[in-house]
Amino acid sequence: MSDLIFDVDHVSLRFGGVISLNDVSLHQNRGEILAVIGPNGAGKTSLFNSLTGVYQPQEGTITFYAKDAKAMSVIGKKAHRVAGAGVARTFQASRMFSALTTFENVKIGAESHHGIGAVGAMLKGPATRRDEKASDERTIDLLNFVGLRDKANTLSASLSYGDRRRLEIARGLATQPQVLLLDEPAAGTNPSEKLGLANLIRKVRDDMGVSILLIEHDMKLVMSLAERLYVLNFGSVIAEGSPAEIRSNPAVIEAYLGSSVEAMDEQA
Amino acid sequence: MKLRLLLARPEVKRLVSCLVGVALIELMTGPSGSSTSPTAGISGSYAERFSFFGLFQTVRCVTFLFVALVIFGLWTLWLTWGRRWRGALTSASVAGAVSPVDVGRGRTMLVGFARAIVKFRTMTRLRQVRMVFLLALLAFATVLPHIETDPFWQAAMVEQIEVFVLLALGLNVVVGFAGLLDLGFVAFYAIGAYTTAWVTGALPTAAPFGIHLNPFFAIPIAIAIVMVAGVVLGAPTLRLRGDYLAIVTLGFGEIITIFANNLYGITGGSEGTNQIPHFSIHLGPINYAWGLGPVPYYYLTLVFVVLFIVAFSLLEHSRVGRAWTAIREDEVAAESIGINPLKYKVMAFAIGAASAGFAGVMTAGQTFFVNPSSFVLPVSILILVLVIFGGMGSIAGVVLGAIVIQGVTLYLIHSAPGWYQSSDQLIYIGALLVVMMIFRPAGLLPSRRRKREIGMAEAGEGHMDELLTGDTP
Repeated sequence: MSDLIFDVDHVSLRFGGVISLNDVSLHQNRGEILAVIGPNGAGKTSLFNSLTGVYQPQEGTITFYAKDAKAMSVIGKKAHRVAGAGVARTFQASRMFSALTTFENVKIGAESHHGIGAVGAMLKGPATRRDEKASDERTIDLLNFVGLRDKANTLSASLSYGDRRRLEIARGLATQPQVLLLDEPAAGTNPSEKLGLANLIRKVRDDMGVSILLIEHDMKLVMSLAERLYVLNFGSVIAEGSPAEIRSNPAVIEAYLGSSVEAMDEQA
Repeated sequence: MKLRLLLARPEVKRLVSCLVGVALIELMTGPSGSSTSPTAGISGSYAERFSFFGLFQTVRCVTFLFVALVIFGLWTLWLTWGRRWRGALTSASVAGAVSPVDVGRGRTMLVGFARAIVKFRTMTRLRQVRMVFLLALLAFATVLPHIETDPFWQAAMVEQIEVFVLLALGLNVVVGFAGLLDLGFVAFYAIGAYTTAWVTGALPTAAPFGIHLNPFFAIPIAIAIVMVAGVVLGAPTLRLRGDYLAIVTLGFGEIITIFANNLYGITGGSEGTNQIPHFSIHLGPINYAWGLGPVPYYYLTLVFVVLFIVAFSLLEHSRVGRAWTAIREDEVAAESIGINPLKYKVMAFAIGAASAGFAGVMTAGQTFFVNPSSFVLPVSILILVLVIFGGMGSIAGVVLGAIVIQGVTLYLIHSAPGWYQSSDQLIYIGALLVVMMIFRPAGLLPSRRRKREIGMAEAGEGHMDELLTGDTP
């Protein structure tokens, strides 16, 4: 048995009569780049929201195995608790704090761990100053890592789409996560930005040891990045395997308009 | 058809709005009608004899027509010259110097002025310059009671200005920093005042443990109780958003007022109490009693105003302040990086309430009476107006907003010009707000963050006003 980070066991999520996830079981190994693909409306983002505590599935269990910590059941936990335990994410339509600069955006992530509350802030004692300094340094490091150092004082709303993705990744990494969930990181980016993002995602895993869970429509990107894939359709897992296995899986081809991999590329 | 085309011309539009605006002002400042001749107010407003700026006698409408034409002229001038002036200002701030194109005959002075403003703006960004400026302001505030010796103003500076500065500072934490619309803020002010009355033994109900404290020692107790009230109100209700929260807080404010009015045996009912002793301090060798005069109270309150300003601005630029900004901008994203929105919102409620509670102690201790009529809904609205007028989220802004609005109101009460009727007070404040919303929508001294947010919301970007949208990321 390999080292698990996420274990999703028979999860079902319904909104009234609409079934969003239907008996979904999947797992992610620690240090793995895992991708979830599927047509629009297949339940990919619902799965992400269930994994991060935003949605509460009615059935099944989701277990997050943090390193050196007790296994945590995600269902029933608030989103900020799940984030605090080491699950970071980005959003499909990037969600930044747009009136803040790039630096401030990342810094908010970096200091979410510090325990200084309102009283400490008002007194501004040595402990507060030390924490401030530490999170400043951490922020600078991360901006260097994602390549946004020269845009530190830019207003985040004026960043390009590709840079917004980088900013979201840096903000997520600032919370010192063990797994990073990326919801369509390449959406709205140009081909050169896509390449840069793929390299960055690989670097996050290789240099920081953070596992990656990825939703993506761009097949080229997914196939080059992911080590293993799950395919969702109508809320159910229809296939699982390596990129090569998925390409030749008849059920997957059926789901993607009943034709070849080229059709899958067009879907993107 | 021709008329419509004519009315569509921008200069005609300007002229018509000047005439309509001035006609309204004329009506407002004119005489009132009576039950026997209800139209006398209207006809009198336009036809009454009136001096033409002291030069000769004419009727009101002639003088006001002249005023309308002057406003129209200034407006037109502003549109042509003002644009050029603002252009000069922008190019001056961008290049650090004024481009030679702007320097022409007759414009040199204008450009010089623009340059001076840019220089001033750059200077105020320097920490040292700001410190000197703030210390100068503090020094001015310290000597103010010795410059202005009119007893009306001395009392007003404490009861109406300092107390409302405190209230505006507190509400600014809730509305400006955390982005929560609180329409019942006066409740915390009331709780502070009634707690003071309670622990000093002034209420019909017995003081705790039968000890009658003096208001000085009520300060920490009142602040603690008010903060607890903030948590008690906040914890269950802050799960609501936007309009829903506004309604709940509105209800809370009303509940407190109604309790104060109707719990006769506890609060003294609508008469309240006028038995609150004055502040005094007796600690070993230190013996001081605040008497009847307002000046000692002015200094005591000033100390606390400064303390609250320092504490709140440290808070704004700390982790907590940034977390508030994050929640205000995008709650879902904030949660995704481990920020607990409820915790920070409750914190904002409790911290904001603290300064309102202190304002309550000051009011009770200085005027030695409390009654429910000082804690009604219009006061909540007024505090909100001070915050919005000054600039949500900007500490300097809300302090200035409170001083300006309260100062103007008091001036009108104390030395009103002949045309002013005190019943029109809210109309003037409303007009002031409308004008401000057109020209400075982010407030007198806007906070940089808030100004950006408002700009982006107008451009359709950002999440600031997404109060009612669902949680779906």
